[in-house]
Amino acid sequence: MSEEKLYSLRNPWFSISVGITVAIAVLSAVAGLIWFPLLQPNLKLSGIWDAICSAAGVPGLSTQAGAVPPAFKTSNVVMTPEMLTRQDQVSIGRGATLAQRCAICHGPQGVSDANSPNLAGQYAAVTYKELNDFKTGARVNVVMTPFAANMTDQEMRDVALYYAYLPRVPSSLVNPNLTPPAIVVTGAPMRNIPPCGSCHGEIDVKAGSPWLGGQSAVYIKAQLQAFASGARRNDISEQMRNVARQMTAEEIDQVARYYEAQP
Amino acid sequence: MTSETDHSHGPHGLGEAVAARIERRWAALSIVIVGVLVCMAAFIGIHQATMPQGRVETADPTTLHLSGEFVESNLGSALEADGSVTVRAIGQQYSFTPQCLVVPADTPITIRATSADVVHGLLIEGTNINTMLVPGYVSDLPIRFKSPGEHVMPCQEFCGIGHQGMWGKVQVVDQTAFRNMAASKRRLTCVD
Repeated sequence: MSEEKLYSLRNPWFSISVGITVAIAVLSAVAGLIWFPLLQPNLKLSGIWDAICSAAGVPGLSTQAGAVPPAFKTSNVVMTPEMLTRQDQVSIGRGATLAQRCAICHGPQGVSDANSPNLAGQYAAVTYKELNDFKTGARVNVVMTPFAANMTDQEMRDVALYYAYLPRVPSSLVNPNLTPPAIVVTGAPMRNIPPCGSCHGEIDVKAGSPWLGGQSAVYIKAQLQAFASGARRNDISEQMRNVARQMTAEEIDQVARYYEAQP
Repeated sequence: MTSETDHSHGPHGLGEAVAARIERRWAALSIVIVGVLVCMAAFIGIHQATMPQGRVETADPTTLHLSGEFVESNLGSALEADGSVTVRAIGQQYSFTPQCLVVPADTPITIRATSADVVHGLLIEGTNINTMLVPGYVSDLPIRFKSPGEHVMPCQEFCGIGHQGMWGKVQVVDQTAFRNMAASKRRLTCVD
């Protein structure tokens, strides 16, 4: 055994191996952080510091100028899965009072046979989003637009929470023995259609997608046709238009009849 | 004793020499294999390079539809001043918007895409475009299509129970046809 110190610069093995390692590190840093980034013209780097920062992964906000503005009103609701999921008794109470003016079409218990949507037990975020879209003009309806026009944000939240609090009342058309159509349980993958149930509740819920059980078939059909034709476009980033556009008239009929008969 | 220590003779010595020779050959063979694999990786890496993205760009997934480059009216293909084309798209549960991308052949194209909810994948069949769309981040990929044709663009990252229904199309048209389309509209898609 040599008495010489192992970790000493006087030990040539030590100094050479450390030297080579440091040289590799410096060379790779120069190549990876400066040289290679600067070789990529599409990165449009403004200098060495920019090259180092971008290669090191310093995040920057996407700043692409010249976006084409929408030619029509789109929904401005920021939808998150947590939205309006907390029960608030005061809010529900205020909502109950406000909802009296909705009763003529949507029923005193949030259920009616008027082919207008049944709101009892609907996810609060859904009712809130639609009210907000009626108010901003992203969704247009001769009856609903004037009702929503004068509502404040808090009033819309209150009404939405109130209807979410009401128990779902099964309609007179419930038929639990109805076999679900293929489009509801498996979708049509060859046509870019996911199962309806993957967003609308039976299999999984996507934030902002309504519960469809017990809704009037006439209403569901009209909405699907409106999405398909582009007459209704308040679905954020075309999430529903993309699906409805690919559905056949027969599938729309099947879905409408199936959901009407669900609790 | 002598016969046991003398390596060149005796049964043990001969065996050891053979073993050493074989070991050298196997070592040489494995070095050659490693060398071939490294060369293959280097060749493929340079020839069909999918470079890691040079810049990290962020975009809030919940407000994509409110402002910025991923608003509905700005999605699709845009002809840039330098003749290149920028394609913007978003992935969401469970579709790509736009559902059909239209791009010119033999033109430098930049695909910019992000996710509005969970992690999705963007893969264009027949090309080396294959990336994740991570909520919060913008994926930016350069590509050039050699000839006109149609490619499918499935989501290749399990994104939820409707994942199998999520895919889009890429239609590659010739340059003149694309320019004619771009003359009347600023953002192009092939959604019917």
